[in-house]
Amino acid sequence: MGKTEEQGPVESPLFCARTKRLLEARGNLTPFEVLGLTPSYPLDDGALRRRLLRLSRQVHPDFHGQDDPATRELAERNMAELNTAFRILSDDFRRADWLVRSLGGPSEDQDREMPPEFLLEVFEWNEALEEARAAGVGSPARARLAAQEEALVRERRRAMDEVGAMLTPLPPAGSAALADIRRRLNSVRYLNRTLQEIAEIRLEEPAG
Amino acid sequence: MPYFELDVLDNVKQPIVGIDLGTTNSLIALWRDGRPEVLRPDPTSDDGRIPSVIQFPSGGRPLVGRAARAAAVAAPETAIFSVKRFMGRGLADVRDDLAAVPFPAAENERGVIQFQVGARVYTPPALSAAILRECWERAGAALGREAPRRAVITVPAYFDDAQRQATRDAARLAGLDVARIINEPTAASLAYGLDQRREGKVAVFDLGGGTFDVSILDIEDGVFRVLSTAGDTHLGGDDLDRALGELALREIGAGLDPAIAADPAFRQGVRLAAERCKIELSSRLEAELKVLAPEAGLRWSRIVTRAELEALIDPFLERALACCRRALADSGLAGPVDEVVLVGGCTRIPAVRARVAAFFGRTPHTELSPDEVVALGAAVQGHVLAGGTRDILLMDVTPLSLGVETMGGAVAKAILRNSPVPTQATDTYTTYADNQTGIDFHVVQGERDLAADCRSLGRFKLSGIPPLPAGLARVSVRFSLDADGILTVTAREESTGAQASIEVQPMHGLTDGEVEGMLRASYDHAREDLDAGRRANLAVEVGTMVRAVERNLDTARDRLDPESWEELQAALAAARQAAAGADLASLQRARDELERAALPLAALLMDAVAKRALTGRTLDQV
Repeated sequence: MGKTEEQGPVESPLFCARTKRLLEARGNLTPFEVLGLTPSYPLDDGALRRRLLRLSRQVHPDFHGQDDPATRELAERNMAELNTAFRILSDDFRRADWLVRSLGGPSEDQDREMPPEFLLEVFEWNEALEEARAAGVGSPARARLAAQEEALVRERRRAMDEVGAMLTPLPPAGSAALADIRRRLNSVRYLNRTLQEIAEIRLEEPAG
Repeated sequence: MPYFELDVLDNVKQPIVGIDLGTTNSLIALWRDGRPEVLRPDPTSDDGRIPSVIQFPSGGRPLVGRAARAAAVAAPETAIFSVKRFMGRGLADVRDDLAAVPFPAAENERGVIQFQVGARVYTPPALSAAILRECWERAGAALGREAPRRAVITVPAYFDDAQRQATRDAARLAGLDVARIINEPTAASLAYGLDQRREGKVAVFDLGGGTFDVSILDIEDGVFRVLSTAGDTHLGGDDLDRALGELALREIGAGLDPAIAADPAFRQGVRLAAERCKIELSSRLEAELKVLAPEAGLRWSRIVTRAELEALIDPFLERALACCRRALADSGLAGPVDEVVLVGGCTRIPAVRARVAAFFGRTPHTELSPDEVVALGAAVQGHVLAGGTRDILLMDVTPLSLGVETMGGAVAKAILRNSPVPTQATDTYTTYADNQTGIDFHVVQGERDLAADCRSLGRFKLSGIPPLPAGLARVSVRFSLDADGILTVTAREESTGAQASIEVQPMHGLTDGEVEGMLRASYDHAREDLDAGRRANLAVEVGTMVRAVERNLDTARDRLDPESWEELQAALAAARQAAAGADLASLQRARDELERAALPLAALLMDAVAKRALTGRTLDQV
């Protein structure tokens, strides 16, 4: 991705750079299509964000404030599409989750299993979390949460690295590897939730 | 014809004003000569702040703004302050605030508060409309012509759907066309970003009269992208005033007649005294707090130190900083913010500044007036929406998660807090009983797990589902939050494709019918005043046009075709007659007719000055 690519018009099904008009999306667009990208797990965060900003300059309703109501309405819809697509692609977990489903792999509802070694760890975290929650503000159990959070963040990074490796290059549609990736993603989902809970508990602690 | 093109250009742009509809004060601003400017009729003596106060004199029309505030000091039992706190809320939400309102309050069947003032009933949107109207009229006085009717109006970032809708209703009642509702901290960042030409991660700490917001933004390449926002719509300077007032009442204690203590007028007076004392303490270390009730023989005063005020503020500041921590956590930022911007009158308090600086580890920006910065930002956004620039773009988020109550009373979230707006989400629901032909939906906003702990936005019923065994019908419900952060919901049954038309009627909100009814009533009420103003303006305008035509009568007689010449003469005679009369409608007709009849003459005239007089004026007002 050189500089020149970033300065030319962005290809997108939401806006025609040549006629400078909003386009009505045909059918369901994938998030990669919306942002004018080919599906792939590795993504450059900065480049993705700059794409969002440049496309927003074309479709955002603020720049269609003088247009007729139908066009303004279309701008609202296209910007919503863009926001949704960016939300999926800018988050490693959501991006991987989307790719697994689009390749015909199991959804989280179809396969709820997690790697067995992970389940043991889950048990320990839950205990620590319960203890911290019950112990109250300012307790040693809560002070230990910071270290726990760090460990979980490391764990999550390791799991996503594995997922990333398995998704690069993308496995063929319907491949058996997808079920394996889904199980790892299930554990990441669990980690996300646990990290969220830790964050909530830590927010109760006084500012420091 | 360069002058002609210029006029047309101004028209195409249709300037859009920015209004900061504040709890304590409101301001109106407009983009002029390459920068946003607060509009004030008399720039030498006027700081542009319009007190958000409505005062009801016995007999006569309500006063709004400065006049109302001045009258309220002498007669607090006749005024309503801080109307914003009641917008989109029910009685149960605002018990404490109602104690400071000297009028009885009731609630209609959908939970809209109704203040009984003499024989009339006022809803919070109607009162806010009066404030917006005052802003708009003062803008007109500052501009020397009718101010634009399109407006960007700011709301606290943490306002929920009902509060946003109430604000939009208020604008409609004021006769304004809402170009966009934007969040106050975001507006402030626009003004700052533009003023300081800064890029990077910015925290906006906005502690106003009644509400607190914090927003974390990423400014990059002219795009102001909000990463997260948090706040409390019930935390602000009013609370400090009340805490200070309560301190006074506690100390007066037994010396106070209970009847006096419960009197809203007395409480209002205490609040005003507390506010004065608080403001003095921002620039001094000590100030006097005085509570007087001469009719009850009460004259109480004492010195309050800055340290005492700071002790009172502390719990409120703790709540604000807890919001800051949540916003930082939600922003996903790995490191500290680059800049901190302070907004709102309360950020003048030295203790507030110091705590915020310590929390973020940055010296906050105070270059722009914390009172003006929101209105200035709204004017910047107005300029963008009017098509004035493509260099600036604001991308905001929704402050609260949105979801539907499930069978067990839990909430199934459809849109998560801090999602960028506009956004859409679709969820699928099914029936739980055989042959069930309808599903009831309860839409809520908030972060709690139980629907009962969230804010109810409204209920709707989807009917017309074909009779099927339980679990077979599939109903997809689409939630759309527009760029104003306002929700619409649409639903359809998938197996038959039957579209259900549904309307979420916000709790504590007005129906369209009610808004229209109030509009009609207010027109009836205000028609005479309005007509008088319009008549005066029109008479001047018609006079100008008549004189312009008269100056060119020779040309017209010589060069117009006979039919146009006759029409022009007739229109001129009618215009002269109407200008002498007092009837608004005939004056308007005569103006329109003269304008039309003068077009062939205008086309003939090469004289630029005459042409401007004939057409320029009316173009301004299309």
